[in-house]
Amino acid sequence: MASFDVVAEAGEARRGQLQINDRTLETPHLFPVINFYGGGNEGALFGGGVHRTIKEFLAHDNEVTGGEDYSDLFNGVMTSISSLADYGIREKKLEWYLDNEIREWDCFSDYDGMIFADSGGYKILKQGGLEGEDFEKDIDQDKALDIQLDLGPDIVVNLDHPIHPDDEFEERIEKMEQTAANAARFAERRDEVNGACYLTVHGYYEAMLERSFDLIEDELAEPIPEAFDGIALGSLVPRKDNVEVLVEAVSDCKREMQQRGYDDLPLHVLGISGNAMPLLVAVGADTFDSASYLHQAINGKYCVNLFETVPIDEANFDDCECRICNDDFHRARMRNEMDDLYQKDILGSVAAHNLAVQQRELRKFRQLIAEADKERVAEYLEEAVKDQKGFRKFAYQLINERINPYFEETDTTYA
Amino acid sequence: MHKTPQVNEVNEFIEIASDFEDPLEVIREALSNSYDAGATQVDIKIEQDAEGRNTLIIKDDGHGMDEDDLSSFFDLGNSNKDDAIGYKGHGTKIYYKSDKIRVETVTDGTRIESVMDQPWAKLNDRELPTYSIEETESDEPSRTRIEVHGFRAGQGFDPRKLTYNKIEHYIKWKTIGGSTAWHFGDDFHEMDINVELSPTIDDTQDQIETDNRLQFPPENRDPEGEFVAEEMCKHYPPRELTVTLDDSRELTIEVVGMVGGKEARNKLPTYGKHSAQFGIWLAKDHIKVERYNDAIGADNEFFHFFFIANCQDLELSANREKIRNKSGDVYQSITDELNRYMTKVCQDSWYRNYIERRKLENKQRSIQSQGSSLEERLQHTKDQGGLSPSNPAEVIAALERYSANGSPETLEIADFRLDEEVNAIVDTDEGYKNAALQVKLSDFFENETPLTHIDRFICWKLGDLDALTKIERSSYLGKPIRFDFSNNEVTYGDENKKTIPVLELADKV
Ligand SMILES: [Zn+2]
Repeated sequence: MASFDVVAEAGEARRGQLQINDRTLETPHLFPVINFYGGGNEGALFGGGVHRTIKEFLAHDNEVTGGEDYSDLFNGVMTSISSLADYGIREKKLEWYLDNEIREWDCFSDYDGMIFADSGGYKILKQGGLEGEDFEKDIDQDKALDIQLDLGPDIVVNLDHPIHPDDEFEERIEKMEQTAANAARFAERRDEVNGACYLTVHGYYEAMLERSFDLIEDELAEPIPEAFDGIALGSLVPRKDNVEVLVEAVSDCKREMQQRGYDDLPLHVLGISGNAMPLLVAVGADTFDSASYLHQAINGKYCVNLFETVPIDEANFDDCECRICNDDFHRARMRNEMDDLYQKDILGSVAAHNLAVQQRELRKFRQLIAEADKERVAEYLEEAVKDQKGFRKFAYQLINERINPYFEETDTTYA
Repeated sequence: MHKTPQVNEVNEFIEIASDFEDPLEVIREALSNSYDAGATQVDIKIEQDAEGRNTLIIKDDGHGMDEDDLSSFFDLGNSNKDDAIGYKGHGTKIYYKSDKIRVETVTDGTRIESVMDQPWAKLNDRELPTYSIEETESDEPSRTRIEVHGFRAGQGFDPRKLTYNKIEHYIKWKTIGGSTAWHFGDDFHEMDINVELSPTIDDTQDQIETDNRLQFPPENRDPEGEFVAEEMCKHYPPRELTVTLDDSRELTIEVVGMVGGKEARNKLPTYGKHSAQFGIWLAKDHIKVERYNDAIGADNEFFHFFFIANCQDLELSANREKIRNKSGDVYQSITDELNRYMTKVCQDSWYRNYIERRKLENKQRSIQSQGSSLEERLQHTKDQGGLSPSNPAEVIAALERYSANGSPETLEIADFRLDEEVNAIVDTDEGYKNAALQVKLSDFFENETPLTHIDRFICWKLGDLDALTKIERSSYLGKPIRFDFSNNEVTYGDENKKTIPVLELADKV
């Protein structure tokens, strides 16, 4: 049902094909976060604002896309069960939503990308469950999976208990044990999933990750690769701006997977995107998910590249190669030059551009990895970070230590 | 009506000749001129007569001067040295501060002798000095000899300041004698430099014999021994960096350098304060001009580095002491590219290892001095006969003593000092022991406190076991460490392994 094939490698970076049922996804890939249900009705694609516009892109509504097909931006998307209650809905409506799988609704019936249904562990545990206008549901592993399955997903993941960098040791162990127990229960229901099952692990460095894997293995009745099709590394969001920590976590997770013989499983990094992605791909991450493209747009920010954003009215569309910016229809929208424009029309195009920028970088990376040339990967990374003062030292360190040393021994034939 | 601004030529000469304050600049000018003339040998001699008057004699085997060249030598503002080191030919005007200039030069079978009498006195009398020219045929190889009699530069030319030591370092630091051009080939030619001072100026050593190559101390990448970081040295070979400006002009930056400890750096020539010369130098004609230590970033200390980044697109002030075009995009692009390059150096594994080794050795040193102060403390503790609480931590320690009453061994806090690395001395069945008293054992290791003087760990609980495992997997202060939680002990070190018992109070109280 699910397979992952590595088709090329450059150093520790790899290019792969994730195949689930009859859908294929090229990796490395970024799953944009989509809120399929936003409190509205089917006719309004379940909800308003920029979220709706994004769904109109995904479902290629010509009035929003300008007639072009942008479905390649949405080859694989992430949605979370916690987002079901984002708009304080009533229980009746929740049930109505869950009556039909996403693709069974007319409006999404053409959508042919992968749907990664997150358990929403972080949010659900923070709020203590799923809370609507007239209901409060405690969510445990079984209930989380029930809801995930109601969405008709391609990938599901166990309900995890994310750790926090400030957690005391005992607290962290407790969370890891709960995640392990959930993973075991999730594995028992493996057969109900018509797709891929991902396992969440947590930790910032090898010793923590080793503990996380050990606790899960102790709980499971079978080896991890028999129960799961992929690994999802969580708890990194609170450290999203510390690229050194991210690189250490991902590369240690990777090493732990190698040592345990799970290296053939794809590695997903939960909740991270943007400037760290290239470095994380370089140490072996395969997929990512993030809502940053959308949040940036909602805040009026236009991505210039992975590192920089500018206010939308200062954006220079000529400098962007993406299809959105090269389309007069979207240019006019982003510049607010059309009659009767709503904010969501402007920001929807901006969000699509932001997403395109991030995916463009990963596409470039996929091409480079296909050449299986470490030096080219190093060059690409170096060029990407060349003006990022604080960031580049970590990138250079990574290149130097793991990809292509700057000052090789042989280089010092000194006159 | 148009008017032409007038130039007072006499004042112009006076000003330019006075521009050079440091008598050593005479040597810099002479060496650059000789190099530009293609010389492979240049000899500089400074003599002093009984009345204390000085004569400079500069001889080289360069291509010599014809009449036009001599005009440039004496005149203002019509230098024919476009790409050469001298700035618009002003340099030679320094010789005007003298009683007599005599030039003897051979080029293409012609020998010219030229004399200028009393240039300085005449300028000060508001009169432009003149020079004579006498041409004869000659079959000698080309050469030039310049004599400057009664020379006085700056606020009186004080030859006593011109010791061999000072000149030698100056040559290697500020002149073409300290050039890094030889790393980059192309235009470079070697030139032997000879400087001789009359014994009345300095008789402490023989004349200086050097060349126009700045040499780094030998590499010493991985020396053996206990305190060796200071001797460590690595060369970073010549690299050409190119940057493209917005107008698509291309700049080339030629960088070469070294990283090294104090011992290694002491082998380098020194001009001025030792501390003022390390870091990253911007250079033109491969001669250092100004430092740009920002290129290293705040995480690193400049004095480990000695890099020279040459770019011919830098523009210098007339006396070559400063970069003029700092506000332009050329300078910006050069420094940006240099920042990137230095970031790579700072991320070099060898450099990181060097810094780490240095840090460890410093800790090691502080332990050695700590050893004696602990002896004193122990003596003091014995004399005092135990603990008299003076702060909350000591009270806690006293409580622990109380709680340990029923324990299988006697363990009493005899001395406690919160801010010391070994914060407690405990009285045990086996006598006094140095102890580290912590709420969580893992906190102790987070602070990277050395273990050398610690005989016991006393903690409330072990803390973050994952953090301890992480330390176990890498190393602790450069040496292997093991945490054996079942036997409550920590083993540390390689050949001289040391075992430190851990008392975890949380399960015992
Ligand atoms: Zn664009």
